[in-house]
Amino acid sequence: MIGFLLLLLLLASCQKFDEVFIEEDLLQRPQAKRCADCHADIYKEWLKSRHAKAWVSEHFKFETENYSKTKCLSCHAPHQVDPDKKPVLRVEFRRDGVSCVACHFKEETMAMHGPLKVWSPPHPSIQDLNYLKSNFCAGCHQETYKEWKLTKVQKSCQSCHMPSLGKKDLIQKFPFHLFHLAKPRTSHEFPSLKAKPDDIQIKIEGKKLLITNVGVPHNLPTADQGEPKFYLVVKATSKDGKVKTIRRILSPQRKNALVYGRPFVITLPFEHIDKVQVEIHRKLAWAKERDLILRKELTP
Amino acid sequence: MRKFLSFFVLSAGLVFAEEKIVLKKPPSSLDKYYPPASTKFEFLSNMHAMSTAFYGINANINEGNWEKALMWAQKLKEIYVKTSKMVPEWKNYFKPELADALVNAVKSKDTDKVIKASRNLGQTCAKCHRDNELVVKLYYHFPSFDKVKLEDPIDFMEYETGKYMKVMTNSLKALKVFLSQGDLDRAQEEGMNFIERARGLRAMCSKCHTNKLSEEVILGKNFEEGLAKLEKLLSETPKKEEVFQALGQVTISCAKCHNVHLAPAMVREAFSR
Repeated sequence: MIGFLLLLLLLASCQKFDEVFIEEDLLQRPQAKRCADCHADIYKEWLKSRHAKAWVSEHFKFETENYSKTKCLSCHAPHQVDPDKKPVLRVEFRRDGVSCVACHFKEETMAMHGPLKVWSPPHPSIQDLNYLKSNFCAGCHQETYKEWKLTKVQKSCQSCHMPSLGKKDLIQKFPFHLFHLAKPRTSHEFPSLKAKPDDIQIKIEGKKLLITNVGVPHNLPTADQGEPKFYLVVKATSKDGKVKTIRRILSPQRKNALVYGRPFVITLPFEHIDKVQVEIHRKLAWAKERDLILRKELTP
Repeated sequence: MRKFLSFFVLSAGLVFAEEKIVLKKPPSSLDKYYPPASTKFEFLSNMHAMSTAFYGINANINEGNWEKALMWAQKLKEIYVKTSKMVPEWKNYFKPELADALVNAVKSKDTDKVIKASRNLGQTCAKCHRDNELVVKLYYHFPSFDKVKLEDPIDFMEYETGKYMKVMTNSLKALKVFLSQGDLDRAQEEGMNFIERARGLRAMCSKCHTNKLSEEVILGKNFEEGLAKLEKLLSETPKKEEVFQALGQVTISCAKCHNVHLAPAMVREAFSR
């Protein structure tokens, strides 16, 4: 009987032990930099990401006319990100953009959610495998998600845009990091990535030039509301030495982006082609500069 | 008491019974109540609140509920006075003593006095509306195209909306001219340029129309089919009649968009000169 009572006492004190280490402000939707107190590395990665700049970006400020186009705002400072659901606009700390708590804190459980099972005394943590699925991103990246689904490719958004960093510590705060084992970590820089020359197949068929996205499982370029662009320059030379240049801008808003597996067709200006030079540059929605993706010369 | 209601119907109709309308640029102090400075539309909200309060007086008097009518009259006076201070340049349109008179008329429970006081106060609203309502609608309730820029898909230059329209319609005119004079190579080249520029227009719509459905109304299936037909005709040996027919299908979209956006854009542009 005494043993049983002691066991009960021990269990009760364990529960208290957990509560002692809870840091209440972490459950009150803190600023991102508060999370950096422990998760310094993840915070540094996130700072480099577009998610961190989602609200403060000069480009976004300009396009929304100083945040007056209200329809755009909720994805740039979401309150809570849930699979397949367009978020509502956050009230506090909007300058943090798509912040730590926006993705990881859930009102329903008052806990931090993530893909890993962790023990974290300062805040309750719940393992949530939704974080590994593409539809987690679909609430905001609706168009890109639809495009990806049509490709039927298994690789998720996270496989490319949150690449693995191997096993790493989740926290860096001394001495607490000593009590944790390294866990599989993925990058929180959310890289935009750039198509490789091999991702785009180009061939001549008769009088047609076929340009196909064969490597990236969504449209190229892709966006919901922004306008990233591909600049396509095709220089065709005829057998008798005449040269004509065809230019195109491809973008999601123009509805002519390169669909995965479906050729974009350009009619060449000559019956008898000697050679065709193709150059593709890209410009990200917020960028000022264009980057070269590929330069190719083809003969029929 | 029903005559009370009919007064408002008549006075609303009188506001636009004009043969000549003069548009005067709204005072800049109004800017702060409209986007981009504010998304709360404070000035407009007050207009709606006053209109509702007017109705509240009317409805309650018609039902013999003078107490509630007085509550609405006091609310109307409060908003009227507050609104009179919002745009200093329009201060003289407001006569707060007439709002007081309306409150007193409701207190007296004399319908004829209320009608008279309502008419007097309503005339201050009507005068301001007659002078300013139309231009405020055109100026503040349509988006500005000032900051909308488009990259031309043919020369990769960035243009303002007006310039882009000019470049695009020049391709259209060139297609018609070269096709009419039998210069088929030039017609094909200019026609393809026109098609690409017309497709590029979507990028302009999406600057504001984040809901894709509203974009589809103007640049939807009919527009796409027209452009595809035109592209096909131009890739073969183009026949003038067929090309002109396909152009007709495409250019309906120009009219649809212009019917909504051109007049307000012209008013804005005229005021910005």
